[in-house]
Amino acid sequence: MATGSIRRGRFGALPWIGPAVVLILVMVVWPAIEMIRTSLHEIDQTGIAKGWNGISNYRSLIHNPDLPQTLVRTLLWVSIVVVLTVLISLPVAQILHGKFPGRKVVRYSIIVPWAASVVMTATIWRWILDGFYGILNRILQDFGILKDPIDWLGNPNSAFVFLMVVAIFVSVPFTTYVLLAGLTTVPDDILEASSIDGANGWKRYKEITFPLLRSALLVSAVINLINVFNSFPIIWAMTGGGPGYSTDTTTTLAYKISFRDQDIGQSAAMATVNFAIILVFISIFLKVSKWRETSE
Amino acid sequence: MKKSTRRVAFSASLVLAATGVVGISLPVAHAATVNLTMVAADYPGDGKTQQAQWDGLSKAFTAANPGITMTVNVVSWDVIDDKVKTLIATGKTPDIVNKGDYSAPAAAGLLYKASEMVSASTLADIVPTFLNNSMYNGTAYAVPDLASARALFYNKDILKKAGVTKLPTTYDELITVLSKIKAKNPGVYGYAVPMGPEEAQAEFSIWAGGNGGRMYDYTAKKWTINSAANIGAMTFLKKLNDLKYIEPNPAKCDRTACAQTLFAAGKAAFINGSVFLPAWLKANGGAGINLGSGSFVHGPGQEAVTLGVQDYFTAYKANGHQAEIQKFMDFLYQPANYADFLTAAGGFIPATKSAGAVAAKDPALAPFIALLPKAIFYPGDIATFPAVKGALQQSVGLAVTGNPAKVLGDIQKKALAAK
Repeated sequence: MATGSIRRGRFGALPWIGPAVVLILVMVVWPAIEMIRTSLHEIDQTGIAKGWNGISNYRSLIHNPDLPQTLVRTLLWVSIVVVLTVLISLPVAQILHGKFPGRKVVRYSIIVPWAASVVMTATIWRWILDGFYGILNRILQDFGILKDPIDWLGNPNSAFVFLMVVAIFVSVPFTTYVLLAGLTTVPDDILEASSIDGANGWKRYKEITFPLLRSALLVSAVINLINVFNSFPIIWAMTGGGPGYSTDTTTTLAYKISFRDQDIGQSAAMATVNFAIILVFISIFLKVSKWRETSE
Repeated sequence: MKKSTRRVAFSASLVLAATGVVGISLPVAHAATVNLTMVAADYPGDGKTQQAQWDGLSKAFTAANPGITMTVNVVSWDVIDDKVKTLIATGKTPDIVNKGDYSAPAAAGLLYKASEMVSASTLADIVPTFLNNSMYNGTAYAVPDLASARALFYNKDILKKAGVTKLPTTYDELITVLSKIKAKNPGVYGYAVPMGPEEAQAEFSIWAGGNGGRMYDYTAKKWTINSAANIGAMTFLKKLNDLKYIEPNPAKCDRTACAQTLFAAGKAAFINGSVFLPAWLKANGGAGINLGSGSFVHGPGQEAVTLGVQDYFTAYKANGHQAEIQKFMDFLYQPANYADFLTAAGGFIPATKSAGAVAAKDPALAPFIALLPKAIFYPGDIATFPAVKGALQQSVGLAVTGNPAKVLGDIQKKALAAK
């Protein structure tokens, strides 16, 4: 009787989620299957499929001399950029949450790096950092900090640092806004009550605001994780993964294997491995955050 | 009632999704019209793209051949390989391609032979040297569109200021000259060495060739990227780098945006330039450069060489448009139309005998045409050349700042593994 009163249609919720399901199937699942299928095929230099060839593409990928250092670099790239992005966004969100004159202007202006095309931002940074004509060298030389100009993107180490700076620069706005949305859900009355009970600012943040921010923090971290891992345009526009392979991540390496080494099959294998890595990243991340939730 | 609404909603949403996703226009059948598609690389010319020239030619061709239309897509050199490859891999193979290599599709059996692409009379007009460089397994699978040769260009004013009166010919002489230039011209790099991804393979070939080295050994049928001569040439460049006679980070220095731009700004004394360099300088702020040219330097006991580069038209069999392709190619090689193409491309060496006879009287081109018989060319007829070219572009520049033997050894490994 109870089940009968809430009558379900034959399709349940399907009519309402149907379009989304179809879109996901066509735009996400099918390309992923196609990618995995390609990684198991022999593809010749011109792009023609020659038939199945088992795991031989994965075997050449494992023997790719550029793979080990690229994997390590990718791990550094993702962890450093995501952690610093969140660490910077937390205080920025807190400031924007406070009331001060001109808050609206500041809130809008912080969207700019996010709203601007990433390729454009990266290209502008490339010219700021240019060894011959860059404005950064000009400024540092005018202030007498540098004697000779430095080719910031020519040295693998400084290039990688600046790539991370730009990645953080374009990730902070989104993260800040997610955290800002989280902050608005923290009830004022609890904060008021705690200050009446004598909690100081830092204690209020640590004991009340931060724990309540957890879900916003989780969302922003996971989305950043995916975005930063898959980030192609920043690296491609600023260094092209170079000099050599010294600033490649696995994402740009997949492109280079395909279009420089002319090996589409191995490139698909790299892309499949990327897919697996990001799935592992996310599941570990979600596990860890769930585990925290239950332990408290 | 509820149920049926749901069902309607479900099917409606499916249809919506389907039309949204598969929102492609259905091919419209034209009874008599054949549309040829072509992808062409954009030659530098006078700073404008070649799209206008190709569109004009297409229009004239359709007027002369009703029933055949042309769609020419002009793309830049740094993306054309990727673009063509993507088109082929996704089943949208173009009919004609104009770019710098042909061996991989020839080996895969995708191409019409040169004798199928153009009529016998047009083929007979192509310069034999260039046609010989268009072979795969003894058959020509491409028709050369034009060629270029490289020469050592220099800034006369910088050399004069340094008191250099004679061009260097050997490694030792070059070191002496560059040290004088560095002493007298602060802020000027002696030699601009573009080993960035844009065209590192050219710079590598020139230096390696001057030391007696080649990319490929035709007798042994084997890539020889890390031969002793090639390592020696890169070791010499590394010496120039350590002495700060060349620009910093050559592995990042692209030909156009870096090396030629430095030269145009009067910040580099020497550069390996192509026939079109003088025209490029005029269009890009280097009109005031007091330009001279000569031969490249060579290693001990070696001879000076130049690099000849030729590009190609290739025709793909995928759409079966052989007759139409031949009509268009013959139309393009008609002297007046071909002259337009050369003009739009800007200062190259023609690939036909008839146009070559005219060009030989051009004082700007004549010295380069004279150099061509001694020129070394890329091993463009080897099927794995595109992959080796890609590997060179990506990392050969690091040999100049790092360990030449190791860098070249790694590229050699890739070359041998390419299939």
